[in-house]
Amino acid sequence: MPRGRTALALGLAALLAAGFLAVFVGPGGHSGGVSAAPASASAGAPALATYSEQAPHVASILNAYGVEGGVRGESGNPADPLPPVSAAAFAAPVAAYERFSVRQLQSMQPDIAQLQAALAAGNRGAAEAAWRSAYADYLELGGVYLEGPVASLNQAIDGTPGGLPGGVASRRFTGLHRLEYGLWTGQALAPLVPVAERLSANVSQLARLLPGTTISPLDYATRAHEILEDAVRDLLSGTDVPWSGEGVLGTSAGLTATTEIVGTLAPLLKNREGVLPVVNTELAGLRSTLSGLAAAHGGRLPTNSELSQEQSERLDAATGQALEALAQVPGALEAAPAQATPQIPASAAQIDP
Amino acid sequence: MKPLNRRAFLARSTIAVGGAAGVTAGLASAERARAALVPLTAEDASNDAGAAASATDLSTSRPFAGVHQEGVLTPKPAHASLVALDSFAPDRATLAQALKALSGRAQELTAGGPIPLLEVDAPPADSGILGPVNAPDALTITIGFGASLFDGRYGLASQRPAELIPMPSFPVDQLDPTLTHGDLLIQICAQHRDTVVHALRELLRTVRGTLQQRWAIDGFEGAGRGPTKQSNPRNLFAFRDGTANPPADDAALMNQLTWVGGGDQRWAVGGTYQVVRIIRMHVEFWDRVALREQENMIGRSRDTGAPLGGTNEFEDPRFDLDPNGKRIPLTAHMRLANPRTPATANQRMIRRGFNYHRGFDKAGQLDQGLVFIAFNQAPSRQFVPVQTRLNQEPMIDYITPIGGGYFFVPPGAQSQGDWVGSGLFLT
Repeated sequence: MPRGRTALALGLAALLAAGFLAVFVGPGGHSGGVSAAPASASAGAPALATYSEQAPHVASILNAYGVEGGVRGESGNPADPLPPVSAAAFAAPVAAYERFSVRQLQSMQPDIAQLQAALAAGNRGAAEAAWRSAYADYLELGGVYLEGPVASLNQAIDGTPGGLPGGVASRRFTGLHRLEYGLWTGQALAPLVPVAERLSANVSQLARLLPGTTISPLDYATRAHEILEDAVRDLLSGTDVPWSGEGVLGTSAGLTATTEIVGTLAPLLKNREGVLPVVNTELAGLRSTLSGLAAAHGGRLPTNSELSQEQSERLDAATGQALEALAQVPGALEAAPAQATPQIPASAAQIDP
Repeated sequence: MKPLNRRAFLARSTIAVGGAAGVTAGLASAERARAALVPLTAEDASNDAGAAASATDLSTSRPFAGVHQEGVLTPKPAHASLVALDSFAPDRATLAQALKALSGRAQELTAGGPIPLLEVDAPPADSGILGPVNAPDALTITIGFGASLFDGRYGLASQRPAELIPMPSFPVDQLDPTLTHGDLLIQICAQHRDTVVHALRELLRTVRGTLQQRWAIDGFEGAGRGPTKQSNPRNLFAFRDGTANPPADDAALMNQLTWVGGGDQRWAVGGTYQVVRIIRMHVEFWDRVALREQENMIGRSRDTGAPLGGTNEFEDPRFDLDPNGKRIPLTAHMRLANPRTPATANQRMIRRGFNYHRGFDKAGQLDQGLVFIAFNQAPSRQFVPVQTRLNQEPMIDYITPIGGGYFFVPPGAQSQGDWVGSGLFLT
């Protein structure tokens, strides 16, 4: 982590130890992701503060209290918890994101057309290049985890064979990963043409349906960190791209999507716990790391297996750093104040035998 | 040097399986095992017995023989290893001999005792990593069979237990073939890691060349950290696991939920179906999720383990008073897994999982999770409907099942010279 932040955090040790944070967190509330328990436990026990004060995710919360350019709640009074963001305030960001998504899907079509042409021509190298472009286009949408008919369309476009009976042999295995499987395992190219045609049709269908879908404020705010969480879990690990190994490309696309979403949320994040500057810094850091990797590999993002040990660790570090910052976004944008959990009525409480 | 005898397990298994069915006391069993071993000098025996006796926490022994196998209802010790094996026995008789040798060696290891002393110009009979006397250390060795053992190779197809099929891939699964299925599964549990590692090494040696390891995974149990003795340890999401397990000491209930009775293969009565799921838990991701969201996904308080809105781990969550999920979301793990309705009472199963940690993945993320182990009387009635409900839980974003399998754990070795699986070969 950056040295500056460590110094800042250390300077706050006394504040934490005095139970300063406990003032902000009511019983049962998890405002900003800080639990009441550790803070109140640390009152009168300074040693307990030494771990959390240095953690990046806590440091970004500390910014909320007006330290190092961070901004307080709207009243400017550190004792005031931030007021919830109204659900209506998410309408414009979500609408902007949907317009972006539809544009993205439309720009995917020329790449799919190139892919079809290369497959028909029997040119594996060109087909792989077109596949990479189409795959990146789709991931730049940012993890369309959608419900209803669009969920099955997403499965048909980007689904992996893992959960299908028969795996890669399943008739339901189609879309980008079916093409990846065929391209990188030396399968004949002509039989893949209909797969690419079907992909094109599914992408068109998704572009038609997408504007009609709804995204809840919480889901939208959560997506700001979940896209890159998925990239780490499924792409850099190689799980979802076992044949092409294009996890770095997928992560780069996920970063584009995340940057887009954070951009739409920027007006809401202004003055919210100082999260935005930290997020922007870490996203820029990850972008710069990815650019460095491309530069080191002749201008093309390397596959997972082309990363040297040092490059792999550097990318993991930058991704992890960005994620710790992004994980603060949902808490900073809470659309409703945390409610206390209802209790089991005392008269109804039973202990299992 | 003489050429190696490929079926050397026959010679290496020095002891017949002993012990009265189900009632073998640990010490008596250990004594019998010692008596059967090649005697040490009087001086050695005295020294070694003294050393073993002083280590009281190592002296607990679990009988290998019994109506049912150990390692099912046995209290969970701290460490476990699971190893799946595939058979390369050329014929049915060789397979039977290998299984007999496996049980024989398992009997020796669980009983403990001094290791046999061979000629000094021969490789030792035991690796010796636990010293000259193997302390029992609550070791249990549980042997199970996979569906593939009942294919055409050994003429066992007609004796396949009714519910034994290859584990299907559920929708969120990313099953790695190198971590899935197998002709056999051996579950090894003990209080200390070195005891488990020793047993694994000895058992593999016993059947080398005939039963070949396919995959293995090591597990550990959280230490008992209270607040009470009954408090369940935590999994790697930090939530207490096993709270709603049916009581293993209720024999009548176990006959309804765990042990196979009539209606299945005759040789299978007294056995149980073991479901193993190696579930990767994406812990870095989990650690970036708000506590409230974590608790809503599970349905329990992280600290106490109590159902949300309660104070005691073992409190009834009273779903009946919360039909709309205002207190515990309808999609919470505990609620989907066990809705606590009369209709789902017979879906309960003994869960006996272990945490695992095995380094990092290719993305630098901790490779940690849960070796989920469940014992079922009938998976189609128990594990499968429960898992099917869980396919929709919000927690699926944070986990990936990557391996495991369905296995059948036969009844225990039941009399002098008996062995696990012998019932398969009587006809």
